[in-house]
Amino acid sequence: MWDKFVVELSQAWQELIRGVAQFLPRLLVTLIIVVIGGLAAWVIEVIVRSILRLVKFDRFSDDSGASQFLRRTALPSSTELLSRFVFWVSWIGFILVGVNVLGIVGLEPHISKLFAYLPRLVAAVCLIFFGLLAASFFSRAALLAAVNAGSPSPKLISSAVRILITVLSVSMAFEELGLAEQTVLIAFGLIFGALLFGLALAFGLGGQELAKRFLEARFLRETPREHEDELSPL
Amino acid sequence: MAEESILTDDFLHELMNVGEVDVLVGLPTYNDAASIGQIVQAIRAGLVKYFPRQRAVIINADGGSHDMTQELVRAASITDLQHTPNPHALRTLHSISVRYGGGPSTGRGLYAILAAADLLHSSACAVISADSTNIEPEWIAHLLQPVCQDGFDLVTPAYHRHKFDGLLVRNLVYPMIRALYAKQIREPYPSEFALSGRLATHLFGQDGWATVAEQDGAKLYLTISAIAGSFKLAQALLGSKTRAQNSPPADVVDALREGVGPLFFSLDQQPAWRSSMPSEPVPILGGRPEVTLEPLRINRKRLYDLFRSGVSELEPLLSSIVSQATLQQLEELASRAEQEFCYPDELWVKTVYEFAASYHRAVLNRDHIIQALAPLYRGRAYTFLVENRDSQSEEVEKNVEALCLTFEKFKPYLGELWDGRK
Amino acid sequence: MPLSQDPQWYKDALIYQVHVRSFQDSSGDGIGDFRGLAQKLDYVQELGVDTLWLMPFFPSPLRDDGYDIADYRSVHPNYGTLDDFKGFLEAAHARGIRVIIEMVLNHTSDQHAWFQQSRSSRDNPRRDWYVWSDKDTKYQGTRIIFLDTELSNWAWDPVSKQYYWHRFFSHQPDLNYDNPEVREEMWEVMRFWLRMGVDGFRLDAVPYLIEREGTNCENLPETHAVIKDYRARLDREFPGKMFLAEANQWPEDLGPYFSRGDEFHMAFNFPLMPRMFMGLKLEDRKPITEILQRTPQIPEICQWCLFLRNHDELTLEMVTDMERDYMYDEYARDRSMRLNLGIRRRLAPLLDNDRRRIELMNGMLMSLPGTPIAYYGDEIGMGDNVNLGDRNGVRTPMQWDGGWNGGFSTADPEKLYSPLMLNPVYGYQAVNVSSQKRFEHSLLSWMKRILKVRKSSPVFGRGSIEFLYPANHRVLAYVRSWGKEAILVVNNLSSSAQAVELDLRGYKGNILIEMFGRNIFPRVGDLPYLLTMGPYQFYWFRLRKL
Repeated sequence: MWDKFVVELSQAWQELIRGVAQFLPRLLVTLIIVVIGGLAAWVIEVIVRSILRLVKFDRFSDDSGASQFLRRTALPSSTELLSRFVFWVSWIGFILVGVNVLGIVGLEPHISKLFAYLPRLVAAVCLIFFGLLAASFFSRAALLAAVNAGSPSPKLISSAVRILITVLSVSMAFEELGLAEQTVLIAFGLIFGALLFGLALAFGLGGQELAKRFLEARFLRETPREHEDELSPL
Repeated sequence: MAEESILTDDFLHELMNVGEVDVLVGLPTYNDAASIGQIVQAIRAGLVKYFPRQRAVIINADGGSHDMTQELVRAASITDLQHTPNPHALRTLHSISVRYGGGPSTGRGLYAILAAADLLHSSACAVISADSTNIEPEWIAHLLQPVCQDGFDLVTPAYHRHKFDGLLVRNLVYPMIRALYAKQIREPYPSEFALSGRLATHLFGQDGWATVAEQDGAKLYLTISAIAGSFKLAQALLGSKTRAQNSPPADVVDALREGVGPLFFSLDQQPAWRSSMPSEPVPILGGRPEVTLEPLRINRKRLYDLFRSGVSELEPLLSSIVSQATLQQLEELASRAEQEFCYPDELWVKTVYEFAASYHRAVLNRDHIIQALAPLYRGRAYTFLVENRDSQSEEVEKNVEALCLTFEKFKPYLGELWDGRK
Repeated sequence: MPLSQDPQWYKDALIYQVHVRSFQDSSGDGIGDFRGLAQKLDYVQELGVDTLWLMPFFPSPLRDDGYDIADYRSVHPNYGTLDDFKGFLEAAHARGIRVIIEMVLNHTSDQHAWFQQSRSSRDNPRRDWYVWSDKDTKYQGTRIIFLDTELSNWAWDPVSKQYYWHRFFSHQPDLNYDNPEVREEMWEVMRFWLRMGVDGFRLDAVPYLIEREGTNCENLPETHAVIKDYRARLDREFPGKMFLAEANQWPEDLGPYFSRGDEFHMAFNFPLMPRMFMGLKLEDRKPITEILQRTPQIPEICQWCLFLRNHDELTLEMVTDMERDYMYDEYARDRSMRLNLGIRRRLAPLLDNDRRRIELMNGMLMSLPGTPIAYYGDEIGMGDNVNLGDRNGVRTPMQWDGGWNGGFSTADPEKLYSPLMLNPVYGYQAVNVSSQKRFEHSLLSWMKRILKVRKSSPVFGRGSIEFLYPANHRVLAYVRSWGKEAILVVNNLSSSAQAVELDLRGYKGNILIEMFGRNIFPRVGDLPYLLTMGPYQFYWFRLRKL
């Protein structure tokens, strides 16, 4: 009995040692992959950063108002943000590769799924990022144009533009991720429809006067009102 | 680069036939058939009368008109091909019309004319706007003679103008250029002007010009470049300035883009403004420009309304452009009743300088910054109209002078904003 | 070499204008003469010209260089005798050289026997041979030609106590062509010389023959009638002889002098000449093409006479005020170079002694429609002396060699009728025939060559002209054509190199043959014909369909 126990134990011990001996190189490889991956990710980050600097990405994000948004939320500049994002995405990728090497049973399909999902995730994040930038830029442009044209409710127009573009980009991102496609589509449809309806109503009610004036000017050839712009500013 | 060159092959071919010239008159156009005939005739008469011996050419740089603009210009040539000889002209006067590449733009038109002036070695070059329907042949002499005879490099015009005409020039462009670049040029954004071949070559050779040509307001940038390059400046009194009857009313935002955009832009490009010198007058040849006073009905209320709504609607934008103190004062102004509304010189100057600094730092899209200035400019214009409602010419001049001095006084403030010390 | 029998010989002629006084002195008295001229006929023949135009050589007080004639039927003793003239004329004809002489119809010298008789008393039979008046207010609308010397067209005669009419100097009273006796007598004078063998007359100052109140007394129909009458007699009695008009008028006024081919055979193209100089200075063809467009069509048998310079000032009467100011500023900045309404200078100094410009101007002279005239001395590039009064600065002795008096005379230099040119640039030691004969590249040798090329084609003398209008206005280009022959002439008026595109579609398929070197240029195709030209360069191309 004792003997059997000893034999079993030594056998188990040996197996453990064998297992460890088998596992240790893998772990080492994993660790090496993770470390090299970290280095590689850092190199990629540097490259991405310099490319973004080269194409003056900051200026673009300044223009669109993203920088202002980031500053307010105490985030680093958009170049920094994007390159760090790239760093983490690529490092996580390497880590997953490393974990895969470990050969833990049952983990592999999940990891490969995760890998397959990665590009879509990146695309979705980019979509949301650029969507927010575009929303902020165009809503401001609309606001300025409306204010300078003396329209009655510039904020409304500006918000409508912002919501529209944001919703559009978010729904596109969700679709990309394949999450709740139907729900998102329906939700988008609802919001878009409601918005247009609202705008139509607003135009119908608010534009009554405008339409009247237009028709009068068109058919009664009434002289247009005096206008401050009749003075040449230059 | 697949990009279309501003100087097309046809253009170069025409220039080849014209050959070296002494005097060049440039005429940028785009669908100006209504006014162009009259303008070209005046230029032609001016050249024949005042520059009979010089080799001269009229160059129309067209942006791709669909009307008869180009044909009308070409018809003004004095060549031996005509069946009616013109004994009043000693020599051939080419009048060529070329289409520059890249689509219509004032900058590209001007760039094409500068290129022609450089390539043809012209010693003097005048640029006439296609809007100047009240042009007289004498203008050609007034503009070009200071260049040809007295060695000036840039001759900007001076006009007799109504006291409420050119409000943006009076309230911003003229005083600010005067404060920053120390030259008192009445019309820094000239619709017609003359420059020497030396200056044309200098500008054409500058790297910055190709980019400027793509933007609005190249004329203003030209004026500033001439000042910054220490060229010899003069102003020539041309007469009264009237706009074409049927031309559409100028849009304030467009005016700001053309008049203020390049001015702010130049601050980055021309570090000359950083040195502080007292401003000096630029000689005005041919008399004193007068301020005319005919009564004019203007809808001031709209200016006031647009200022108020602008300040309240754009508050988040303005807060990132102007300082907290300025914004508070603006909001206080916006809350006043129309009778008590007054946008004082000092606040206006600070506003403008803070806008310029924000433009420099590009806190927002630069075009948005310029657009955000529009409601504030309207408020200032309102105050100017009220202040000078019953003023005589001297008083108007005095008020403008006071504003200029305020601009000069606050110049160090802009310097501080620029360096980020505020 | 016999004279050609063609009655239209003047259309192909190359005329050389000489002054007997200035050409060669054979007697050693310091003044040129007919024997001297006869000695130099070999030179004239060698040069390549075929017609001599002699300035007045009649007895005269010489107060207007011989244009003030005191006897129409004789030779001034300074120049020899009537027999000397006959000898010269025969020698010229023997060499195939024709001779044109001056005929001053409008006025005589006040020393002429006719005027002496006319002024002697109011009832002299010849009183009516001149134009007399009690008042100096008649014909008020008439301009004064010699503005620098004359105040009025009337001069007071203290002998017969009346005013007499003179369009030129006051010592040149105008003959009265309303008087049939005068007209008859002048025809007799012309017959006298025609019978001797002269080939034609240059009729001086023709627009002024007749005066009428209320007109400007120029180009009157009555004047034309007088000329027509003379021409009819000429054709009847002396076929093959020629009248050349000196009428300094605007192009549109020149037409009537050709009438329907029954007045003058030839007339000077006065308006063209200053414009050639102007075009050159402006580097612009406009003045030249414009004046030729204005020039009237003339009858088939008539011909223009072209010249660059002559014995008179470069006249600026037929230009606008602006053009005249320009010409003065560019060609006569020194006021002493100006005389009346003109510039008293020779060709070479006018063109800054620039060989390229001299060649270009001669090239145009020889290729534009008309018969060209070369003024003596200009073929070697002689200079002028503005310090001599009136127009004498351009009438200095011919410079034959670098020896005594430039080979002109054996007299003492002080005895010469006019001092020789002495300065280092234009003086006779630098500029003379014998030195230029020795070099193939001298101006003289070049002139011989161009005259020879010109003579090689009748197109120049007889052909029509069609201007090409290349977009480059510095280039003057035209096609001369006559019958099947066509010649393309391209002149670069500019001081810099030029490219020019010629529209030669009408001559598609032709080959261009350069006429001086006979080199072949590319065939004319559908595209504009591109030529590049050096400063002041010109080309003559024969167009040949091969």
